[in-house]
Amino acid sequence: MNELKAMWQAIPPASPEELAGARQRLLRGMRPRRRVVTGPRLLVAAGVAAGLVVTPLISGAGTSAYAVAKSPDGTVKVTVNELRDPSGLEAKLAEAGVKADVTFLGQDTRCAAPRFVSVDRAYDGAPAADVSELRSVVEGSRSFQATQVTSIRTIQISPEYIKPGETLVVEFRDNRNSNVPWRLGAWLAQAGTPVKPCTPVEDTP
Amino acid sequence: MTIPREAVEVDDAILIERSLNDPEIFATLFDRHAPLLHRYVTRRLGPSEAEDVVADTFLAAFQQRGGYDRRRSDARPWLYGIASNLIGRRRRTEMSLYRAYVRSGVHPAELSGFQVEDGVNTLAVNRPLALALMELTPADRDVLLLVAWAELSYQEVADALAIPPGTVASRLNRARHRIRQALSRQGDRP
Repeated sequence: MNELKAMWQAIPPASPEELAGARQRLLRGMRPRRRVVTGPRLLVAAGVAAGLVVTPLISGAGTSAYAVAKSPDGTVKVTVNELRDPSGLEAKLAEAGVKADVTFLGQDTRCAAPRFVSVDRAYDGAPAADVSELRSVVEGSRSFQATQVTSIRTIQISPEYIKPGETLVVEFRDNRNSNVPWRLGAWLAQAGTPVKPCTPVEDTP
Repeated sequence: MTIPREAVEVDDAILIERSLNDPEIFATLFDRHAPLLHRYVTRRLGPSEAEDVVADTFLAAFQQRGGYDRRRSDARPWLYGIASNLIGRRRRTEMSLYRAYVRSGVHPAELSGFQVEDGVNTLAVNRPLALALMELTPADRDVLLLVAWAELSYQEVADALAIPPGTVASRLNRARHRIRQALSRQGDRP
């Protein structure tokens, strides 16, 4: 019995990062109608209000640059390990039924705004005056509902929040930090309106 | 979401009861038990299935929480019982994990970067164990691994699987016998 107890004992308990996806699913299942504002979404909110989002990432050797997987519940999980081949990622997303415009940016740069007409205040609306206003912007913005940070290197897209013809615009910025390798901004562009190509401009903190 | 500080200090039964009126409290139960449940499922099914099984376990538990027996202050038997059912539906995955391990000597968690083995000696013991686990009936395997890997007591296993403690004892005896046989066969080899 002791031999059996010791078998694969070195497998560690799961970290909060590994459990983020499962926890998120539980939270959603607990409140099927009213969506709960969780830590990661507030992060998204705070980040986007300031322009961008903080997402830590541990990049491993031998992994592919990105992966797109469709879940049975209709959501699309996107894993981003490396910021390369944006058009390849767009094509993968299109295969999963998500019309997206993906930009990978170098360090300390952003896309000159505005590139498109957003469906809500998330993109170029006036900055929130305080936390409660920020919260109401988050709860009222489909841009935030459509894209959520679910773990240290994944985002989850919920197509139910994307109306026909709308484009999901995502901008990843290289953060040159092994703990926080990239930052993300994600918004929805109105149906039938163009999304201009990104013109990178300097954006030093 | 804010979880009240007091929620962290009360036992599982009280948490579950409070979650009937305030569903968000149930997340505290997740934070408390998901890390080790994930580890248990990873040992049996590998890391790629573990996240799904953990999420499904807690979602099912959340749905069923109204029927929870509040005399049981520790929710682990309940949660591991639900997880055992879900693992049972993935028998093929479990069997192929053991089979692949016997062949390659590598547990899939290692591919995710965890150090699982200590060396050749461990492998010499673990290979026959994996073979023996494959040969057990699903019911015997559930009992054995709930004791050995989830560290539940006989009574807790009985609660988890909704079977009498006597049945737990007899299944465990049979499974242990198989395990001992497997290890002694290994010992006979040069």
